[in-house]
Amino acid sequence: MQKAQRLLDLAAFLLRAAEPVSWREIQEQFADDYGGTGDAAIRKFERDKADLLELAIPIRYEPGDEDQAAGYLINRDEFYLPDLKLPPEDLALLYLSGSAALASGAFPYSRDLAHAMNKLSFAARAPGASEAAALATTHLSRPDAAGPGTSLLEELSRAVGTRKRVRLVYAGAERRARTERDVDPYGLFQKGGAWFLTGWCHLRRDQRTFHLARIERLTVNRKAPRTPDFTPRKNLPLAEVATRETWEFTVHAPQRCRIRLEPPVSPEVLASFGPRARLKEDGAATVVELDATNGEGLVRHVLSLGDRAELLSPRPLRQRTRAILAELARRVA
Amino acid sequence: MSVPTRRRPPETSAPASARTGTRTRPPRAPRAVTPARQAEAGKNDPRERLRRVLFLVPYAVQHPGIHVKELARRCGVTEPELVADLDFLMEVGSPPFAPDDFLDLYVEGDRVHVALHQSFTRPPRFTESEAAALAAAVGALGGEGKQRAIKALRDSVPRDRRASFDELVDRIYAGAPPARDSVMGRLQRAIADRLAVKLTYLSASSSTEAERTVHPYTLAQRLGHWYLYGHDASRAKPLAFRIDRIRDCALTDQRFEAPSEGELTRARLFSEPTGEGIRVRLGPLAAAWALARPGAVELLKRTGDGGAVVELKGVSEEWATRFALSFGGGAEVIGPASAARHFAEAVRGALARYT
Repeated sequence: MQKAQRLLDLAAFLLRAAEPVSWREIQEQFADDYGGTGDAAIRKFERDKADLLELAIPIRYEPGDEDQAAGYLINRDEFYLPDLKLPPEDLALLYLSGSAALASGAFPYSRDLAHAMNKLSFAARAPGASEAAALATTHLSRPDAAGPGTSLLEELSRAVGTRKRVRLVYAGAERRARTERDVDPYGLFQKGGAWFLTGWCHLRRDQRTFHLARIERLTVNRKAPRTPDFTPRKNLPLAEVATRETWEFTVHAPQRCRIRLEPPVSPEVLASFGPRARLKEDGAATVVELDATNGEGLVRHVLSLGDRAELLSPRPLRQRTRAILAELARRVA
Repeated sequence: MSVPTRRRPPETSAPASARTGTRTRPPRAPRAVTPARQAEAGKNDPRERLRRVLFLVPYAVQHPGIHVKELARRCGVTEPELVADLDFLMEVGSPPFAPDDFLDLYVEGDRVHVALHQSFTRPPRFTESEAAALAAAVGALGGEGKQRAIKALRDSVPRDRRASFDELVDRIYAGAPPARDSVMGRLQRAIADRLAVKLTYLSASSSTEAERTVHPYTLAQRLGHWYLYGHDASRAKPLAFRIDRIRDCALTDQRFEAPSEGELTRARLFSEPTGEGIRVRLGPLAAAWALARPGAVELLKRTGDGGAVVELKGVSEEWATRFALSFGGGAEVIGPASAARHFAEAVRGALARYT
């Protein structure tokens, strides 16, 4: 019998049962599948139970008491998706954020997300449901529609969730060298529209971050899929890693830097200096003060703001900025 | 005790693939596995089929007589694939496998009916990865209801999997929410209630603030920024508004019609290429970085020194200039002429500050 069919049969059987079903009865009813006396049958049943739990179908073992015999059952309250009982604005938040994530092109567990959006239509009635479902549908029917890199992100999502070690062929950016390394994938984060993996790198013996677009090949350890390969760090500061600005990468000792922003200063420009920058009014202009440990990163950021921003100090970084602009001006003349 | 065999009496029901009322079951033809089929990630994976039918059955129960085409679309499969799923379901039942112990979904006149649902009347709870993916999406959008929504998601995961959910939620970070929750909160409300909003918007091109009346359709994240996508009344067309340029947002009491699916699909593509792209020449290091950026960058050619010429599609001249400058001298805008001029002026303007 097909496995999918066996699993559904088992779910249907235990869902319908009014009281716990003994192992003996399960064996009788599924003689072709769990028949026999050895451990093999119970192991097969346990694997099926685990597969069903991964589909969010919990099979429980109820120890017997004087009223009923011991056995297995699926409690309906534990099986059915409950009503989320959220106020309409919170439901709207769920629909909107789910649709926006699916529409963004690449998102971890995007297939699961599409399934979740479909299920939401049962868990909650709210405006926005049909739009959300439309996006989920598009996503489910065209798994390739989400753009390149999606399957890599999906594979990594699984590896993060199941804590399986991965082997990467990685193209470094600055050194332009291709390396092969084993990584314990701790987490995934998004920054500037791109996805990054952070994890323990066995080659560098340190926690490292990898740009997904630079991963040329990924192999997930397929052995013992349900046994984790590593224990991830407790309290992984993923948000902190994700919000680290390029000038906060550790390249040199901290340097106090000042940048002048000409009015009108838009909120997004202010926000672009990150949560640790200090802002001071200077007439209509704003002066940003921050500590950089990678001056080159700051120079590039200030350059990208065009003639609205000026790097005031320290002097070497100001000179470096000027030199780059002078060279560019010569080239475009 | 005799164990009933799981053979279904052929006279009890027709396979879904027999669209008319004939009551005999044809032998099931093995399905060919073509490369194209294999390429359809996961669709034919047994686990994926289980997840699909666990949604399909309750959905068909809730929508009696739903059109085959519509149900197939909702499940993300083609019509023949849906019919194959329905045939598969006819084999599913529970002991003692009497005629009434099977699932029975049948097609009549292109519509799907449910004769026996075997208690599959609602989908199962969220799996931890379904709930965690949605929670990560909620975390990126923020808003006042964030904590409540994430808690509700957690409570909808089977008890035995909540610890896995907690762990997984901490391992995906989809970006910080846009800075101003109040604007986001109002926008979310307006989208849900289909209320027009008055926005005070700082335009990127003119650096001036203007008031716009917008029918908000949806929110979208693109290249690290959040956008509102909606219909702008004064310009009489749908446009994208960057959330961090919305200075203020006021709800009106004016309701609008729900956008069509087509309009929402366009929201996915709102900054997709239209018109001529902007060309940027990149040095070797800049090329390595730029080509790793998703979405907007397309390689036109490699240059001899290991650099590249790329095209940026669907971006403004200002965006292209900022992009090129962010490589610290390793890139320049080379065309079209107006974009190259914009870049040159920005370089000269910035240089003037240092002399």
